[in-house]
Amino acid sequence: MAQYIEFSGIGKAYPGVQALKDISFRASEGRVVALLGENGAGKSTLLKILSGDTQPDEGKIIINGEENRIASPYDAITKGISVIYQERQLAPSMSVIENVFAGDLPTKRFGVLDKKKMLQTTQEIIDKFGLPIDPEDPVGRLSVAYQQMVEIMKAYRRDSKIIAFDEPTAPLTDTEIAILFRLINQLREEGKIIIYVSHRLAEIFQITDEIVVLKDGRMVKTMVTAESNESDLIRAMVGRDIGDTYSNLSRNENIGEVLLEVNNLNNDMVHDVSFKLHKGEIVGFAGLIGAGRSEVVRAIFGADPILSGEIKIDGEICKFSSEKDAIDRGIALCPEDRKDQGLVMWRDITDNISMPVLDKLMSGLFISRKKSEDLAERAVEKYSIKTPSLDKIVSELSGGNQQKVILGRWTSDLMDTRILILDEPTKGIDVGTKAEVYQMCCDFAKQGIGVIFISSELTEVINVADNIIVMHNGHITGEVRRAEATEENVLALAMLD
Amino acid sequence: MERSTWFSRFTRSKMIVLLVLYVILAAIFTVVSKGQYLSWYNIRNIMNSMVVTAYLTCGAAFLMIAGNVDLSTAQVALLSGAMLGTFLQMHLPWPIAILGVFVIAAAVGTLNAVLINEIKFQPFVATMAVSYIVQGLMLVRLEGFSIDVDSPPIVWFGTYRIKGVLPVSIIFTFIIFAIYGVILVKSKFGKMLYLVGGNPTAAKLAGLNPKKISYILFINNAVLGSFAGMLQAARLKAATANGIANGMFAGMTGAILGGVSFGGGSGGMGGAFVGLVLLNGFNAGLSTVGLSPYWQTVASGALLLIALTFDYFNNKRLASAK
Repeated sequence: MAQYIEFSGIGKAYPGVQALKDISFRASEGRVVALLGENGAGKSTLLKILSGDTQPDEGKIIINGEENRIASPYDAITKGISVIYQERQLAPSMSVIENVFAGDLPTKRFGVLDKKKMLQTTQEIIDKFGLPIDPEDPVGRLSVAYQQMVEIMKAYRRDSKIIAFDEPTAPLTDTEIAILFRLINQLREEGKIIIYVSHRLAEIFQITDEIVVLKDGRMVKTMVTAESNESDLIRAMVGRDIGDTYSNLSRNENIGEVLLEVNNLNNDMVHDVSFKLHKGEIVGFAGLIGAGRSEVVRAIFGADPILSGEIKIDGEICKFSSEKDAIDRGIALCPEDRKDQGLVMWRDITDNISMPVLDKLMSGLFISRKKSEDLAERAVEKYSIKTPSLDKIVSELSGGNQQKVILGRWTSDLMDTRILILDEPTKGIDVGTKAEVYQMCCDFAKQGIGVIFISSELTEVINVADNIIVMHNGHITGEVRRAEATEENVLALAMLD
Repeated sequence: MERSTWFSRFTRSKMIVLLVLYVILAAIFTVVSKGQYLSWYNIRNIMNSMVVTAYLTCGAAFLMIAGNVDLSTAQVALLSGAMLGTFLQMHLPWPIAILGVFVIAAAVGTLNAVLINEIKFQPFVATMAVSYIVQGLMLVRLEGFSIDVDSPPIVWFGTYRIKGVLPVSIIFTFIIFAIYGVILVKSKFGKMLYLVGGNPTAAKLAGLNPKKISYILFINNAVLGSFAGMLQAARLKAATANGIANGMFAGMTGAILGGVSFGGGSGGMGGAFVGLVLLNGFNAGLSTVGLSPYWQTVASGALLLIALTFDYFNNKRLASAK
């Protein structure tokens, strides 16, 4: 009989929130089941229950006809469940071998490690999946993608029957995603039960067999992937038909004169980069991860040193020795990593929004709380940030609302932002909010702001930007207007050597 | 849209837990000591025992809120006492002597800041090394003796009591603490400390200057330390090689007890003050009920653990109330 895991009437409440209610579905061997839903839909809670991190308040988990209680992460592993999280759980300074065997290292007599067996088994797994990984390499030296492969090898070595992935493609480039999918397919063919959590619709169709759609902690729909289509899914996820997001954008039609001109910019990571940004224009930066896109904007923003080249704003050469100088000239940078670089996670909304304009919030010697809160309130209203109060700690907001706090910071009426740089602004936020962010970009453009839009999602960058600059290895490999851009020609430029 | 209120900020701060804890402890001590604990004599003792550490706590709390740490402050204090005595022996006028000590302290603070910001040492390691160097210099200077500090204005500041009752140094300490508290809560600089301590990368990308703040804080901390050391010398009328309790962690203990965390970005001067009162009030209480001083150290450690446990449960309560 085919093996399976079944969730039956699972419910979980946190104080004030019903995170999950009445979740029932079955995942069988040799099938990839997608868990799909906006942020806050309950996907992570379900994974936490599966991994033994937390226990459900109601409902049952049945594995092969037997009711099971998964008491702890260790318990989950012994029951053949591995959950591969976005935040990798590896020891970076230890070798691939040691990581693959973490948790139960094989020993010979007297507790001496059986290194031969470890090496042999690890090499076998590497060969099986056909990966170019040296088993002796410390994991920290591998790319993010291969670190993820090590996680998969770890699960495989434990002979886990059930393997769950939590948004595995988020940090990966398109080629790396292809490798990951090959691995998942191999696992499927071996009869593993795979649970796959993702935001990205395209890959759901590529890799999964069944789809479970969650919304606000409830199950909206289960369907067979082959029998559904993208618009069905979006409708199920957001509960409404958002239609074609991109064709509905109200774009800026009046692109003005040159605002920012970069000529032959060079530093360690960036080589001979030249481009122009006009008033009211959205310039997209496409490319694979590590292509040097973030490095270009960091150099422009004064965050990284410049070896040679010039930056002109309104035709005037600018030299920024710090981020502050760039901000004073009207440049704003919303960095790639909201949590690490954008927000002060344990401070409230007011503090996070007022950060760059403290000088303008003074009343006499001191900062005026009223002025600060007025400023924050205007941003909260303008971007409809969902929060009960202005002194909500930003770590308690959803990803989309956090992004809006950062946008609110840089586009407040106290700032004179003329060049807005958005580095991966839609990373990890749900479909509905993504559409809002695209429209915001267009609205900024209408106000005459020049927007630099960096994204690793090709579809997004070629549909939102007016002009797309493609980078590879620190060089610009091409520039394409939106009208001529297709995923194929942009990707070809991104992989050009 | 709901705004923060005086009350919401107060209940979120850790002060309230400590205040409750202290009131309970004070009540117990008062009963056990048959009222002695609340005598003016005892209260003044508690305040007196806080005076020197208070400056170290101000400096340490500021540094820790901004995500930094300085283990050298207590030694800077002791070296400052020794140098004050030395300068006075050289018959320098007292204001010049004090100024000279401040310059030395500022140099040590700058050294710490350079090691951490330019050479990128871990603050813990860098300031520990500096601590030993400063301690060594102080021991070399004193050679096992003590140096008299007998300049009348300095001794006056350390020992004079208004109407024979209230020491001026206590009043001055309270004023300094209050000023630091106001700076932290109300000023732009204070706000920047929290932002830089909470996330230095994000703060830098928002145009703040974490490096400049770090320099200011290390110099400020060393100068406050030297003030503490000179005050100590003024009260004893001599500079000695020891006499600052808890060594490297002298200033930090009260701050940690008051909810300032090593992680940076949290805590405040109100909490630090209550923490300091709690620490010293607790020790004094143990003396009034007749516990040996050796056991008091054990009890102080236990108090720190109890306060942190209280705080942990209070955080959980606040988190679940949301």
